[in-house]
Amino acid sequence: MTADVHSLIGAYALDALDDIDRAAFGRHLRECAACRAEADELREAAARLADGAWSVPPPRLRDNVMAEVANTRQLRPAGPPPAATPARTPPSHRLRLVAAAAVVVTAAGAGAAVYTVQDQRVRRAETLAESARQNEARVRSILAAPDVVVRDEALDTGGRVTVASSRLQDAGVIMLAADGAPATGQVYQLWTIRSGTAASAGALGEGQAAAVQLVEGLPAAEGVGVTVEPAPGSATPTTPLDALVTLT
Amino acid sequence: MAERGITGRPEHLAPVPGPQPASDAGTLLKAVARGDERAFGKLYDLVAPRVYGLIRRVLRDPAQAEEVTQEVLVEVWRSAARFDPDRGSPTAWVFTIAHRRAVDRVRAEQSAAARTIRVGIASVDTPYDAVADEVTLRLERQQVRHCLDYLTELQRQAVTLAYYQGHTYPQVSELLDVPLPTVKTRMRDGLIRLRDCLSAEAAA
Repeated sequence: MTADVHSLIGAYALDALDDIDRAAFGRHLRECAACRAEADELREAAARLADGAWSVPPPRLRDNVMAEVANTRQLRPAGPPPAATPARTPPSHRLRLVAAAAVVVTAAGAGAAVYTVQDQRVRRAETLAESARQNEARVRSILAAPDVVVRDEALDTGGRVTVASSRLQDAGVIMLAADGAPATGQVYQLWTIRSGTAASAGALGEGQAAAVQLVEGLPAAEGVGVTVEPAPGSATPTTPLDALVTLT
Repeated sequence: MAERGITGRPEHLAPVPGPQPASDAGTLLKAVARGDERAFGKLYDLVAPRVYGLIRRVLRDPAQAEEVTQEVLVEVWRSAARFDPDRGSPTAWVFTIAHRRAVDRVRAEQSAAARTIRVGIASVDTPYDAVADEVTLRLERQQVRHCLDYLTELQRQAVTLAYYQGHTYPQVSELLDVPLPTVKTRMRDGLIRLRDCLSAEAAA
């Protein structure tokens, strides 16, 4: 029944509907939350087309805008003020943003099956990222970066390490989710590898199996490694890599 | 399910710097919503070339583009508190406002049949193009251009005729001489492909 209206979703995101179609589609969106999410995603992609239309405005425009702004009263927020809502936004939204951003297609040959896998990786990345409270804003900005790339590898000892990196943010997030903590006296340790040399990106505590670590400058590294080291961690890796995520 | 992060162990982990100073559009927009004019100035610098470039591309006429760009940026200031991060990114919000205004203006003009003359004027370059050329190598621009190549010919034409020229889908259908349902599908599929490519290309 709504299938016909829904087929307008691409045209809607491109502002290619006349006023009547637009009103009809607006009604459709109000009744369908999933359609709103899809429309938002397509709009997000369409808006990136503005990147391709870069043109430096005349310098006087800035002065004119700033002058008008100084005399323009701002609208109040619609609905409840942001302060009334919890500090974290609903996971569903962040998930969607990141899912839109993080679909990785390897060269031209990769198949569509990759998408689902990526989506799951991103979900996992998101879940793990929840734990990094102190770095939340920064981590979120990396995961939401338009150029974020998510890669992950299995740990030989069971579990996964996921790396999300953004060149625009010049930073990355390493998310470790092992199936279990290493034996007593041993810890997981994260490494960034540059020019073949490993530098510690942090060691987990004894008994810890999951971690989220923010690494500035990560996109410059060739890879991220994970080892199991004697507690409380080593200066250089002393055991074979449990996992290696290649970034280049 | 996930355990606490390892940030509580500073002896093993390098200290993590706080959020980047106000270069991020989201941070700036939040400050703008609180009436911070300085933040608005920075946001202007971040988005104005794309807002102006987009509007100019749709309208063709530089003087008109300048006028609409001013309207749009003042609107961003005015309604910054209404930005809903659940619906998308701050920059997409800005460009969506810009595109809508540009398209509204084009349609108003089409009904006034005043457009043909303006297109003629538009082919005259302005000095700003020289500056614009210098930034053609910007990552985003390369990316979006490259990704447009990744669309099928029909998808690309349907998407760009609508977005950069402000045509409605029936107009696009006429211009390309393809049936309406095909145009609708190509627009949707084209955007999906564009979205996927943009995320992937960023890695390359």
